[in-house]
Amino acid sequence: MWNPDILVSRTRHSFFIHQLVGAPTSHLFSDLQKYKEKKTPIYPTDFNRIRTEGEEMPVAASAIYFLNLRGDVLINRLYRDDVGGNMVDAFRMHIMQTKEMGTCPVRQIGGCSFFYMRISNVYIVIVVSSNANVACAFKFVVEAVALFKSYFGGAFDEDAIRNNFVLIYELLDEIMDFGYPQNLSPEILKLYITQEGVRSPFSSKQPLERAVPNATLQVTGAVGWRREGLVYKKNEVFLDIVESVNLLMSSKGSVLRCDVTGKILMKCFLSGMPDLKLGLNDKIGLEKESEMKSRPIKSGKTIELDDVTFHQCVNLTRFNTEKTVSFVPPDGEFELMKYRITEGVNLPFRVLPTIKELGRTRMEVNVKVKSVFGAKIFALGVVVKVPVPKQTAKTSFQVTSGKAKYNASIDSIVWKIRKFPGQTEATMSAEVELISTMVEKKSATRPPIQMEFQVPMFTASGLRVRFLKVWEKSGYNTVEWVRYITRAGSYEIRC
Amino acid sequence: MAPPVSTPKSASPSQPSGKSEVTDLKLQLRQLAGSRAPGADDAKRDLFKRVISCMTVGIDVSPAFSEMVMCSATSDVVLKKMCYLYVGNYARCNPDLALLTINFLQKDCHDQDPTIRGLALRSLCSLRVQNLVEYLVAPLAAGLKDHSSYVRTVAAIGVLKLYHISATMCHDSDFPAALKALMLSDPDAQVVANCLYSLLEIWTQDAANSDEAAREIEALYGKSIIYYLLNRIKDFSEWAQCLVLDLVSKYIPSDNNEIFDMMNLLEDRLQHANGAVVLATIKVFLHLTMSMTDVHQQVYERIKAPLLTLVGAGSPEQSYAVLCHLHLLVMRAPMLFSSDYKHFYCQFSDPSYVKKLKLEMLTAIANESNTYEIVTELCEYAGNVDVPIARESIRAVGKIALQQYDVNAIVDRLLQFLEMEKDYVTAETLVLVKDLLRKYPQWSHDCIAVVGNISSNSIQEPKAKAALIWMLGEYSQDMMDAPYVLESLVENWEEEHSPEVRLHLLTAVMKCFFKRAPETQKALGAALAAGLADNNQDVHDRALFYYRLLQYDVAVAERVVNPPKQAVSVFADTQSSEIKDRIFDEFNSLSVVYQKPSYLFTDKEHRGPFEFSEDLSNLAIGGDSGDDVIHSAQRYEENDKDLLLSTSDKEENGGPTHNGSSTYSAPSDVNSSTSLVSSSTTQPAAFAIDDLLGLGVLDTPALPPLPALSLNAKPVLDPGTFQKKWGQLTVSSSQESTLSIQGVASLTAPQSLIKHMQNNSIQCIASGGQPPNYKFFFFAQKEGSSSFFLVECIVNTASAKAQIKIKADDASASDAFASLFQSALSNFGSS
Repeated sequence: MWNPDILVSRTRHSFFIHQLVGAPTSHLFSDLQKYKEKKTPIYPTDFNRIRTEGEEMPVAASAIYFLNLRGDVLINRLYRDDVGGNMVDAFRMHIMQTKEMGTCPVRQIGGCSFFYMRISNVYIVIVVSSNANVACAFKFVVEAVALFKSYFGGAFDEDAIRNNFVLIYELLDEIMDFGYPQNLSPEILKLYITQEGVRSPFSSKQPLERAVPNATLQVTGAVGWRREGLVYKKNEVFLDIVESVNLLMSSKGSVLRCDVTGKILMKCFLSGMPDLKLGLNDKIGLEKESEMKSRPIKSGKTIELDDVTFHQCVNLTRFNTEKTVSFVPPDGEFELMKYRITEGVNLPFRVLPTIKELGRTRMEVNVKVKSVFGAKIFALGVVVKVPVPKQTAKTSFQVTSGKAKYNASIDSIVWKIRKFPGQTEATMSAEVELISTMVEKKSATRPPIQMEFQVPMFTASGLRVRFLKVWEKSGYNTVEWVRYITRAGSYEIRC
Repeated sequence: MAPPVSTPKSASPSQPSGKSEVTDLKLQLRQLAGSRAPGADDAKRDLFKRVISCMTVGIDVSPAFSEMVMCSATSDVVLKKMCYLYVGNYARCNPDLALLTINFLQKDCHDQDPTIRGLALRSLCSLRVQNLVEYLVAPLAAGLKDHSSYVRTVAAIGVLKLYHISATMCHDSDFPAALKALMLSDPDAQVVANCLYSLLEIWTQDAANSDEAAREIEALYGKSIIYYLLNRIKDFSEWAQCLVLDLVSKYIPSDNNEIFDMMNLLEDRLQHANGAVVLATIKVFLHLTMSMTDVHQQVYERIKAPLLTLVGAGSPEQSYAVLCHLHLLVMRAPMLFSSDYKHFYCQFSDPSYVKKLKLEMLTAIANESNTYEIVTELCEYAGNVDVPIARESIRAVGKIALQQYDVNAIVDRLLQFLEMEKDYVTAETLVLVKDLLRKYPQWSHDCIAVVGNISSNSIQEPKAKAALIWMLGEYSQDMMDAPYVLESLVENWEEEHSPEVRLHLLTAVMKCFFKRAPETQKALGAALAAGLADNNQDVHDRALFYYRLLQYDVAVAERVVNPPKQAVSVFADTQSSEIKDRIFDEFNSLSVVYQKPSYLFTDKEHRGPFEFSEDLSNLAIGGDSGDDVIHSAQRYEENDKDLLLSTSDKEENGGPTHNGSSTYSAPSDVNSSTSLVSSSTTQPAAFAIDDLLGLGVLDTPALPPLPALSLNAKPVLDPGTFQKKWGQLTVSSSQESTLSIQGVASLTAPQSLIKHMQNNSIQCIASGGQPPNYKFFFFAQKEGSSSFFLVECIVNTASAKAQIKIKADDASASDAFASLFQSALSNFGSS
């Protein structure tokens, strides 16, 4: 059935061998020999092949708690006996009720480590008793919350938890057994979960006609994320390319840091077991394609992705060899891929602030915002937050569009523009009067100006979907929808 | 009955007492129990939901146990699930009642529906009641052979649960072997993963006293199983992939081709959406290529992009976890990241724990090419509203200045900080300027000009004040008014609370006196007088010492107090390279986050003062209020007394006490005051006080006879250092020893001897060989010192002889160690 001596993938195609073939191999080997020579006189040749002694056990979570902001336990599950039932008291006493709450999400108290996360008005705390895998624990919490949300219909907060005790218990039992993570895929859980989530009245139920899940259906290891026998009357795929653009600009107007993190969200309502193939205008993919079809790349913008990660459904081997994204999608909504770009980012907005301090008690703030995307598209929900000193007494504004307001709780002037057309500019000039105090001799470095916005039909990276092919053996037609949107991540301009 | 002493538990005030509600629920359940009416199931569902919500908010609904069990005879899955949940929660406190549930759980284990079979089996295993284990074996055995993969996944973990309740029962039923067979043959990847979880845990725990388990563990890391898992890696869920990758990272490939094959196979895991999988893969790559320098560097280049993506994506907590690992890598190879410095710029909205790590990384990667940008950026943070971060960034600027050769511009920046006129900025900067002057005395002129303008009154922080005073003393020849500033400081001696500052003041006045005697004489007299009258022992002693020194000979005093200094070239690194390597070995775990190796926070003896957790864990959940509180208070006290006792014990031994510090943080007032007394009085008095507390301390402390040489139980030595030492040192002792017959018999694998020697505080660093010849390299460390013993031991099992070569840092202790080693070796097999 399996040959223990052979690794299946022996084809030498990827990164390391490329690099090594590129480099003179003899050089590498001579190095290795030297290394061995150095070692042999003293040690047996297998010196380096000895594992360090130590704990080799996988680490399981001992308990998971959901607390509200006051520290009351909303729900908990103790998976193991190695920590006490009252660990939550320790958490309350030593973390929640101290100033340390915000200082670090991983804390050790006694022999136990606590990983905690706040999501809306709930703290989720995982307790472990030994040297656990932190990244795994946090990812698990995030995934679990996403799962709960899919059952509750959007919101995850104290009320949702209180309304869904039984469901959460059921889910917690299925997604983790004796502290080891099990299956978190919603598709498969549907087979085992009996409760329905109590949805908040505002969430809209998907009006979908679905095949009734067959409770005895076997989910094979082959395509673990998709059930067989799905039928849709109308086969549709929705693609959302969502980018968030991060910017840090110095007060002199030079870009200190700028990148785009994007994700492609997909909603699939497809029958059967469809095979999908997605083409993007990324450089490597296009080059590979032209190489395979032996024809030059068509002119047009190509972009370079710094890094890509995919949903587990994507065939990574094929991505590595052919540079195409091909996959059998899960049913419903999921995140197909994430990417990051640092080169050639199109910043949608330019911000030009001038701030003058006129004596001790007066300040003049002038902010000009220019939109640099296409004239036919609009940005929505533009917010510019200009920080002002704490001792602000009075403000007055003049704006060319939108509305400005002084918000004392965040010590900022908040300027909102609902709709901002491309290739235009808007300015705000404000006068700020300050209470004169003796405390601050010199103003500290001001916090940066922050911006929020959404630009539909625009990608800061320039990424475009070239094609999305759906292939299924029954050969039905599919309707594909593609949307683009760019949001502000942390868009900061120092002033 | 005694009246309730303390207030009820925290949850109670806001919630109804629950008494009447429980009775009400019981009644209603009883009515429904036998009912087969059409609407009965729905009514039951509602009732069950109420019971469970009571349970969740902490009301004890265990009185309704029998009614719940009566109602559980149903075919409704929803009801069954809630019932299982209830039973699982209360069975432990009511083992007798739990017996009632066995029957229906066992029946459900044979249900037609695999979901119900699985659920029942899981609940059965989760009862955690000692006297019910016998009922577990048959359903588990059936579960492992079930045709539904769901049931098998449950059963695989169920075996582990059984093991935790009764290890012998688990072994007697031969479950580990069954799991192993299942792991190697099951088509469902999750079953395989669960088998692996269970086996790893069972065998690792057994390995300490069973050679067979140790061998099985070895086999799990062997080629055939690793390859089998690797070939199936894509079938596994993302979580199971983490497990498999962790296992793989411990595999030792036989040659380089194998390493490249594995890396090629796993290369695409770096693109996985789950950050945990990516980190686990990175660990495999890093560990595989440890011995290949160029490839190792390539791995760094390759993993940079995914790591940076992970840092930018996800919640702050997730990116913190990744950032900690990135931090570790940056610290190991700063040059490789020097062009990526912009990624480590802080966002205004980053939480401070993220900012702190970023600052450290920026500091580490600063080199000739990027220093200007990095320092400019750091200076931006100095005005940050978040004061701790502002401080950190000033420190970072200072650290960079200490690393660089071209410090010209940086010093200017630092001096600009002083002009910001913020207390904490000034304070941090002063400390830095001091360190800078110690390394680059040539800068004294510029610095002194600025420092001289700072009024000593405006500085409150002891560290900063001490730094300023040090500079006043050191450079009094260049600072016009140094003697007068010092004089005014001496005049305010009484107002200075920090002994550190007073110590520095004494020394500074002395130094100033040697340079500008006429102006300082008066201040010196006053300082010495004040010092002699000081309450602090150190200050008093130093004053007295200076006084006598001056009396003896002023020239000698000057040579002692103010000798010509050499510039400090390198400031000591706080963490040793061994510790760092340990942490690197434990990549992708908490060690990296805490920045210390795992034994420091998992082993009890290394843990800090918070030893209460065990006590807390003994308290029953949801128990009655009053008693527990009193109980725990008593336990606190006992605990503190234990600490106290252990401290005085240690003082008796004259060793440095680590635990001593924990005594001071004892929570209750009474205890902390006694601990102070005990540490400042002489031993007999301390015992008397202990006795007063009723501890029943022995009249004659029966200490075990001290062995001539005691060894550090957890020495740390990395292979590189071992190798270096082995090359440098000469053989101090070379002997031949004979093994006992039992010893030879136990030595079927190197593992057994390694375990045995570990129990004698002798660690193995490398081993190898085939029967009958084995070769070991051991090392041990003398307790309380840094001197190591290195041993090469060649064992021939055929002749039962062992050749021992010992090399020691401290040759004088070598003989003592040799006899210790021999006796340990001869004991092998007899225990």
